[in-house]
Amino acid sequence: MIGRIKAIDKMSSVFPAHRVEGKAGAGLKPEHLYAILEQADAVGFFEVHAENYMGAGGPPHAALTRIRNDYPVSLHGICMSIGGPEPLDRDHLARFKALVERYEPALVSEHLAWSTHDNLFFNDLLPLPYTRQTLARVADHIDEVQEAIGRPILLENPSTYLQFEQSTMSETDFIGEIVRRTSCGLLLDVNNVFVSSTNQHTSPLAYLGDFPLEHVGEIHLAGHTTREDDEGDTLLIDSHDRPVADEVWKLYDIVIGQCGPIPTLIEWDSELPPWPVLKAEAEAAQKILDRHAANYLFGSRHAEHA
Amino acid sequence: MPNMREMPYAEAFAGTLFSPGRGKPEFLVGPNGKGAERRFEVYRNNVSVGLVNALASMFPATQRIVGEEFFRAMARRYVRDHPPRSRLLVEYGQDLATFIAGFKPLAGMPWLADVAKIERAWLDAYHAADAAPLVGEELAAIPENRLVDTILVAHPAARLVRSRHAAVTIFSVNRREGEVGAIETDIAEDALITRPHLDVAIRILPAGGAVFLETLFSGHPLGEAAAAALAECPTFDLGANIAGMIEAGALADIRQ
Amino acid sequence: MSTKSVITTAFVAGALASALSAGSAFVTATGAAAADQEKCYGVALKGQNDCAAGAHSCQGQSTMDFDPDSFKLVPAGTCLSMDMGKPSLKPMNG
Repeated sequence: MIGRIKAIDKMSSVFPAHRVEGKAGAGLKPEHLYAILEQADAVGFFEVHAENYMGAGGPPHAALTRIRNDYPVSLHGICMSIGGPEPLDRDHLARFKALVERYEPALVSEHLAWSTHDNLFFNDLLPLPYTRQTLARVADHIDEVQEAIGRPILLENPSTYLQFEQSTMSETDFIGEIVRRTSCGLLLDVNNVFVSSTNQHTSPLAYLGDFPLEHVGEIHLAGHTTREDDEGDTLLIDSHDRPVADEVWKLYDIVIGQCGPIPTLIEWDSELPPWPVLKAEAEAAQKILDRHAANYLFGSRHAEHA
Repeated sequence: MPNMREMPYAEAFAGTLFSPGRGKPEFLVGPNGKGAERRFEVYRNNVSVGLVNALASMFPATQRIVGEEFFRAMARRYVRDHPPRSRLLVEYGQDLATFIAGFKPLAGMPWLADVAKIERAWLDAYHAADAAPLVGEELAAIPENRLVDTILVAHPAARLVRSRHAAVTIFSVNRREGEVGAIETDIAEDALITRPHLDVAIRILPAGGAVFLETLFSGHPLGEAAAAALAECPTFDLGANIAGMIEAGALADIRQ
Repeated sequence: MSTKSVITTAFVAGALASALSAGSAFVTATGAAAADQEKCYGVALKGQNDCAAGAHSCQGQSTMDFDPDSFKLVPAGTCLSMDMGKPSLKPMNG
């Protein structure tokens, strides 16, 4: 039940407590900043990658401070390496904690993945086998992060391209057990579900059916690219470089219809479009959120998590 | 003891991500008995392309000078030989200038390493801690009899890059749109990079200026810095250099 | 430092007095990194961490990149205009 991040209500708040509930947002890109600042309520919220604000000062912090004054912000960590076998990096955790304290984000999330090993950084979200052993370690790492920042995080499901012979559990069972052990919430990346299911030759609806949807506190949508695997069959790449695919919108509509309005982010990290294109994607998500919101005004879901 | 079937996944991945010759770890498979070579290539590709892209974005003038194809090939080699140790991409490429200086295909451009050094320093200044720059009135308030022994603290964003070549000019014209034109490359240019507020600025120092600031920035008193500059350049103009460093926002504090 | 003796209080005080009224000896490199777009917040943020997977699957490493003798490329950017001809002007002090 703690899976949902509660609104910030601290005496020491520096920023306004904007509400993120039921809103659609976009990833904040410096290239879009001026276009965003020219508009009021450009989108419902902005998400930033924590690592890009771990420098000491300068324009990045000035920009994020300005944005945070006007919008709810979601802090999305990329490099905590929660899924790696090594202990979490204390310095990195301290930097992450400092950002949570400084910007009072409405949402805080990280990945079920790893990116560092033996003092090297791989700049990618690398996969892990799903076993009892990795489960225990991931749970420990999430406990450590949540302990450090004093609030639950949302854990994001990965996009996968292959399987580990070692795995003894399904991804959804693994994630469900993580939630049970750590009381973390979940960031459901619907594009990742579609990409992984296509790549693994399974059904995205079956995946969603097994996913602990009641713990989802944020949704990600993004575009993907089509490539070929060894046998010439479709292999989807989680490229974040184009609009959200129709199939992913359909899945998203189903999820929102089932769960009610959940803060939803459009991710676009590469081949950036002009701001109006990204904004239009967020508006498309907002329409779906609003269409289903009416059904949930008096629903149990809102009462339960208010 | 860790279960050997489970522990080495990260080790096995890590050992092959920068080494295409090695093939994928054996325990990675495709669904329903499918192959996984191309599936694994997705990760190897992400790491390589991601890091090369990061370098290209951090060293745009360097890339423009050598051309994109050359830069990316060189960057791939740099990535292999100097994989990142920090998980903050913005800290990557600290020794790219050194790599360029020793990269034989670039022997004909002895100034390129200094251009890369300026690009890296520009980025360091961009992300440096914020601090109010020292203003002239604060210097004027120092009692005259203490001036020689006054220690001036460098602004957190201030960086010096010394070059025996026209590195600042080459950097500047390649960071903006338009024609580059012919440049006399063997005129020495020392760069002062500052970011007193939010904009990074770069200035060319007069003779003696770099020694003066280097000496100040390493914590030596004003008198010593002036002496070091005069020793290198007898025509060193202390007043004009003080005016320059104040205008540039190169200082943050006074320690008397 | 033996040269220290030449630096007197009067010398530094005089220099400081002139500094507060006179101009800077430093030459600003205009256009370098202060394009209008970068004012205030620095639009061209470099070296961003992101969670996109590269779509350029043919752009990655090739085994050839790792053969030390295979680097046959020559620089082919603006270097050409910088290296050719007699030096003309320094197009910067503006």
